[in-house]
Amino acid sequence: MSKVAVQPKARGGGGLMWLQGLACGAMVALVPAIALLLGVLLAPGLAALMLDRQPGRPIARSVLLCGGAFCIRPVGALWSGGQSVDAALGVLGDLNNIGTAWSAAAAGWFMAELLPLVVRVVLEAADAARAARLRAARAKLMEEWEPHAPPGQ
Amino acid sequence: MAMPPGSAPPAEIVAGLFVVDTSNPLPLAGGGVPAFAATDRRTGRADKMALLVATHAPARPRHLQVPLNPIEGMLTPLAHGKGPVIGGETGYFVICNRPPGPPVSATLRPWPESALFDQVLRPIAQALVVLRAQSLTHRAIRAENVFQGQAGQPVVLGSAWAAPPAMHQPAVYEPPYSAMCLPTGRGDGSIGDDVYALGVLLITLALGRVPMAGQDNAAVIRRKLELGSYPALVGDDRLPPGIADLAGGMLAEDPDHRPSLKILLDLVAARGRKVATRPPQRAQRPLQIGQTAVWNVRMLAYAISAEPEPGLQMLFGATLMPWLRRGVGAASLAARIEEMLRARADKAGTGETFVDTMLAMQIVAMIDPLAPLCWDGVTLWPDGIGPVFALAHARDPATLAKLEVLIVSEAIAIWASMREERDDPASLRLAARTYRGWLQTRGPSGGLPRVLYMLNPMLPCGSALAAGRGVVTLSDVPAALEAAAPAADRAAEPLDPHTVAFMGARSDRRLTMDINALNVGDPETRLISQLRLLGELQIRFDPRPLPGLAGWFAVQTGPLIARWKNRDRRAQVAARLTSLAAAGQLAPMLALLEDPAALAADSEAADLAAAKLARIEGELAAIDSGGPTRAVVATRTGQEIAAGIGLAALATALILTALG
Repeated sequence: MSKVAVQPKARGGGGLMWLQGLACGAMVALVPAIALLLGVLLAPGLAALMLDRQPGRPIARSVLLCGGAFCIRPVGALWSGGQSVDAALGVLGDLNNIGTAWSAAAAGWFMAELLPLVVRVVLEAADAARAARLRAARAKLMEEWEPHAPPGQ
Repeated sequence: MAMPPGSAPPAEIVAGLFVVDTSNPLPLAGGGVPAFAATDRRTGRADKMALLVATHAPARPRHLQVPLNPIEGMLTPLAHGKGPVIGGETGYFVICNRPPGPPVSATLRPWPESALFDQVLRPIAQALVVLRAQSLTHRAIRAENVFQGQAGQPVVLGSAWAAPPAMHQPAVYEPPYSAMCLPTGRGDGSIGDDVYALGVLLITLALGRVPMAGQDNAAVIRRKLELGSYPALVGDDRLPPGIADLAGGMLAEDPDHRPSLKILLDLVAARGRKVATRPPQRAQRPLQIGQTAVWNVRMLAYAISAEPEPGLQMLFGATLMPWLRRGVGAASLAARIEEMLRARADKAGTGETFVDTMLAMQIVAMIDPLAPLCWDGVTLWPDGIGPVFALAHARDPATLAKLEVLIVSEAIAIWASMREERDDPASLRLAARTYRGWLQTRGPSGGLPRVLYMLNPMLPCGSALAAGRGVVTLSDVPAALEAAAPAADRAAEPLDPHTVAFMGARSDRRLTMDINALNVGDPETRLISQLRLLGELQIRFDPRPLPGLAGWFAVQTGPLIARWKNRDRRAQVAARLTSLAAAGQLAPMLALLEDPAALAADSEAADLAAAKLARIEGELAAIDSGGPTRAVVATRTGQEIAAGIGLAALATALILTALG
């Protein structure tokens, strides 16, 4: 997880949570098989949603998006298989479906953790190169105007 | 003997015209100063002589700075200037004609009265008339300085220009009030002093011997003051009647009582002229002041001035007033002295250290209005203060200290106020104030050296760098410094305070501003002013290269070069300065060092560079302190990229599903 300080929860977040809960509840009531299937397949993402306390939940978002990309085919299979709980359990019984979805979710988590480090390395390298150029320019100026130039830092 | 242009004249040539042969001295010809044979280069005539001016006894500026037409019966100065080296020092010479024969003192014999009138009195009086017309005096009339070519010819007055007035006169030829002064402090005096000396000369030649010979100067002065000059000189000797009558008047103590030159030139009037002068009342018993037995008030004034300590004790004692009242019948004088003593008692405790000295000076002037200024044992006429100052500055610190107090106290003005009927007190007051102003001027161009050179327009510069190099005018300064440069301390400024004071005294208005700038404490400004001054002198007087002096300046110009802020520019200026110094031209060096446009451009570029540097520093500081910000940005960006990849995967999956 990122070490960035967790921002205090924005006001109104509670209301959105209630709306999401209401949507989830409606979904469970209306299409319980699909809800079951998605609940299992997106379980890492839902867990990330609970664990990620960062504003905007960027890790959970990445995990959900990656996991969601591999839920499309199982949901399509459930849709064409009658949308029953048994069918959902049948789809879930295919470990290939769960493994793929959870692996994608893991890849999403991994990217969310790794990419900030990569970007930081790139930024640090760029600034170091710029600082080196500036120091060279400063040394040249000080040499050219020594001893009247202000002392270097 | 044509010289190539730009080259210096040979050292043995004075004023570019007269060749001096120092191997051929002319004893007895110089009137007290060393004389050497000289030749006029234009005519080839070898009938000239060169008189060597002593270093600390300057020549007479009023006679030399304005060219004089040749005066018949007198060895008129023809030229003056630096000449050959004598005794390791560059000599300064005054050129005049060689005397036509030996001095009359060489074969002293009694002269007949007619010869005295025709061959001595008339020619000398005629020469003095010409001098007086130009407000000049001779002040060196004595048997050793009067020459005669052949018997029967008119005598010729010798030189009196190469030394301070009357400096070499024995006391016998001088009025007692001149003789009692320091030899250098007798001043130009008046033509009456020449008449006095001429009177003594007539007596000497009439007697065939120098009167009062064998007596020291103090004894001569005391005798003259005691008896009067004429009785003291003649005593029981018998003079031709015409000479006796005339000399009696010529030797009057009061110059106003001496016959005029017009009377001396009228032989009939001169022969019949007899002046009765009343000697001062003589006391029945003397008053002893120090070594002097005082018989009259004139001797009293002399004793106080010659021996100030016992003189002051006598003034404050109880014996003087009775002696004055009863001994010499000077009751009113005694009352005035008592008044002054009371005034002095009121001043006691004011903290002035010279109260008693001032009191003695005033009392002497009151007792004898003919007496010169006496100041703590230093006796002089105010117009002779310059040469006294010169000699004291070189050799007599005690006298110099007294002269300093004399100037600070403006004693000359007070002395003049005591004898208003005899001097022009306004001009002396002005002079006293001016001297004090010079003395109190701060910085290297003021103080004692400034007074020294202002009072002595022909005194050579006494700086250690210029000493012995005959630096008498501004034009001599650059060459002297060039000669001194190889052995000089390169860390010291080329113009030391003595030289600055000398230049300040000799400068014109154009140079005054730069000389005043030498008073500032900023060494850079001082160095620029010195360079400008010497460059101006080089352009004005002698454009020959001065590589030694220029190199000296080049060594000193580090702080001036440092004013350029750009390192490359500094290196360029230093290199250019080195090449200019090698060429020995000071003005281009000044132009290089004092280039306002270049300095302003350099300063502007330095400001731009400083701004750029500040910007760089700011950016570096931002980079150094930007770690947390970069971390936040990196986290956000990385997470957004991850989310973007997830979204792309989701979109791809949807599209693929939609496409079947």
